[in-house]
Amino acid sequence: MKLSSILPRLLAVAALFLSISSCSENLDSSGVCNVLCPPIGGDVKTITLDAAVEVDTAVQSFSGLGTDPSLLLAKRGDTLDTRVIIRFDSLPQTFLPAGDTAQPIKSVDSAYIQLIVDTLSIKSTDPVTIEAYDVDTTANDTSTAAVLALFRPDRFISSQTFTRAQLTDTLKYFISNDAVLSRIQNNQPLRVGLRATGSPGSSQLRMSATESPAGGPVLFFRATPDTATKPLVVLPFSRTPTDDRILAAVLVDYTVIAEAPAEAPPGVLAVGGLPARRTYFRFIIPDSIIDSSTVVRATLLLNQIANTAIDPNDTVKVVPQIVLAGKVVTDPTKASQIIAAVTADTLRLKPGGSGETAVELARAFALWHTAPPDTLPRAIVLQSAVEGSSPLEIRFSSSEDIAALRPRLRISYTSRVPLGLP
Amino acid sequence: MTRKIFFAAAFLFALSSAAQAQGALSLQGLGYPSGGISARAEGAGSSLADFDPLSLTTPAALAGVGAAAIYFQYSPEFRRVTTSSGSASTTTARFPLVAGVLPMGQAWTLGLSSSTFLDRSTETDLQRVQIVGAPTDTVTLTERNRVLGAINDVRLGLAWSGTPKIRIGFGAHVFTGSNRITFSQLFPDSSKYISTAQSGRISYAGFAASLGLEFHPSRVIGFAISGRKGGDLRAQSGDTAIGSAPLPDHYSASVIYEGISGASISARVAHDSWSSLTALSSSGIQAFDGWDTGVGVEASGPRVMQRTITMRVGARYRTLPFGLNGQKVSETTFAGGLGIPLSRDRAGLEVAIQRASRSAGADDIKERGYILSLGLRVSP
Repeated sequence: MKLSSILPRLLAVAALFLSISSCSENLDSSGVCNVLCPPIGGDVKTITLDAAVEVDTAVQSFSGLGTDPSLLLAKRGDTLDTRVIIRFDSLPQTFLPAGDTAQPIKSVDSAYIQLIVDTLSIKSTDPVTIEAYDVDTTANDTSTAAVLALFRPDRFISSQTFTRAQLTDTLKYFISNDAVLSRIQNNQPLRVGLRATGSPGSSQLRMSATESPAGGPVLFFRATPDTATKPLVVLPFSRTPTDDRILAAVLVDYTVIAEAPAEAPPGVLAVGGLPARRTYFRFIIPDSIIDSSTVVRATLLLNQIANTAIDPNDTVKVVPQIVLAGKVVTDPTKASQIIAAVTADTLRLKPGGSGETAVELARAFALWHTAPPDTLPRAIVLQSAVEGSSPLEIRFSSSEDIAALRPRLRISYTSRVPLGLP
Repeated sequence: MTRKIFFAAAFLFALSSAAQAQGALSLQGLGYPSGGISARAEGAGSSLADFDPLSLTTPAALAGVGAAAIYFQYSPEFRRVTTSSGSASTTTARFPLVAGVLPMGQAWTLGLSSSTFLDRSTETDLQRVQIVGAPTDTVTLTERNRVLGAINDVRLGLAWSGTPKIRIGFGAHVFTGSNRITFSQLFPDSSKYISTAQSGRISYAGFAASLGLEFHPSRVIGFAISGRKGGDLRAQSGDTAIGSAPLPDHYSASVIYEGISGASISARVAHDSWSSLTALSSSGIQAFDGWDTGVGVEASGPRVMQRTITMRVGARYRTLPFGLNGQKVSETTFAGGLGIPLSRDRAGLEVAIQRASRSAGADDIKERGYILSLGLRVSP
């Protein structure tokens, strides 16, 4: 083949190759930016607004009895005493023996309640004794006083002691077979109240409630000693209150507080504790910051007050939430219930800690930028991640405290860059 | 009081900021003047531009087109910028020239063309440590700046050539185009910081007129002169005028010697009053008037597959419009090219390769670029 016929083809192929290889642009000149790219955005400015907090107050969590995803069983001397109530209002009357037809239940064997325990929540290495009481009553369903009054000897069902090694994540709490059989034969509900005791009287463990994805308590028993027949499984169920099925659904298992550490005094902000509390903040933020500037970081600066009442060195996860309640909801307590998660950042605080604490709120500012204050108030709530099932309470100075300790808002922002001409 | 301090800080901050990250010597200011010259003229160091009907430098050359033609050019640039602290390699795909030329009768020729006047396409990532929040809270902030788009020169030209010795042309130019700018500030920890993004679009509009004269006193030598005088180039963001500056005047003079059989030697010198565009810089980037000189040779080459290949070589030196830190940026280019007739000369492929070296005074910044130009001319 002559060179004269090869050359044009080679040229054509080379040109085609270069053309194709250059079709996808690569404009990135970052490698020389230290020299050839002067900063565009300028410095980030930071201001601290001392009087940005319009309202700050601790409010009760209205999440409601029985709505928490975990149950707290605790006996911490004179400081903390919580009980767990589990309702099995619907017990089976018959069972199906292996290879036979359904028969009435005439005996109960190996009855136990399976509890899903958060082993990290166990506070003591000492053995824990869990006592079960019959807490069935016709009193008001939400009357915790009435239920607590039933933890008395004549209502005692059973007791079981666990060593620390036996407190595994799936705990079998055996209860009296006779008690179960009696409720079945008399067509009565089985409502069990659990109380922890232990030497030297300091026990605490948290277990999953029905509301938890891990699943709540479950009752197992055998209606026959024949192991070929599967044990019967009974899920918690509450028939009362009959006029409120939603409440009945959450009251299948719940925590009752018999004794709890003293609440934070008035004028002190609190998060967590028992009964659970939240802290509501509403801010006055200049429109110019939200609308005209670009907030890149916003931090609520709080002064934490040491709370040594119980487990001061344990960690509490505090989650900032944005308040969605519009301006028609003026009551902070009610507004604090209409909230949404605002950030993936979770504060980890020790109740016994003190000093300045920073709560990151940049995500809240991004949301506030999208809606006027009437629709989306500039308000947040601080909430414990284990609200209602942990006695730990974090405390902060409020705006009633001395000026140096009051909540402040620190905002870092950039102004919009005049894009365009070089 | 706090609010007043905030407003004052925001105002001062806004004044001190401007989108000026460029990332290359050739992309300073409003960008790189990439267009106006066809692949044929580029292959000869731009020296043929004033005699080339498919280039935009003078409307008089339209009269020499011969047959009606449509022309399209693709010119990717492979660029490498080296500084004392690093280097960057980029690829910029450009379509700097499209033209249509239509002879009307024996003497008149009409041409409509569009070329890239200033190309500002660039993207940069600049990382810097920034205090955000408490005085001890530092974070590495990445500023990403992306600019796409160009100002284009659209010309309607009319040329007359009543005699082989003289060609005269007039051009009406519309300068139009836009820069789309996206600026982001990226923070690493999304739970603490919010990354920001801004986008903007700057559109440009301006008018100019050009006049060209080509004179061939004999068959062996020709001369050409041309000039372009512009009005104001206005920059607008949305409905808001954000700047205005006179379009740079352009003058050029060329000579071509065709006394050697099958070959021509040409030279060109041009002057652009780029400094008028300084007024369109919000951050004080200085534009410099500059000379653009080129010399080249075009010669008939070997016959390949019954086609006569035209070969070109040339060199060019010019000052780019926008400087760096007050220093002029100059560009030296060595070029070579081929002209390949296709389809019994009813079409032609023009290929040029240019190696451009750019520098800015004593600064320790070097820029090298290879520009491959592929031009396809079709005579319908």
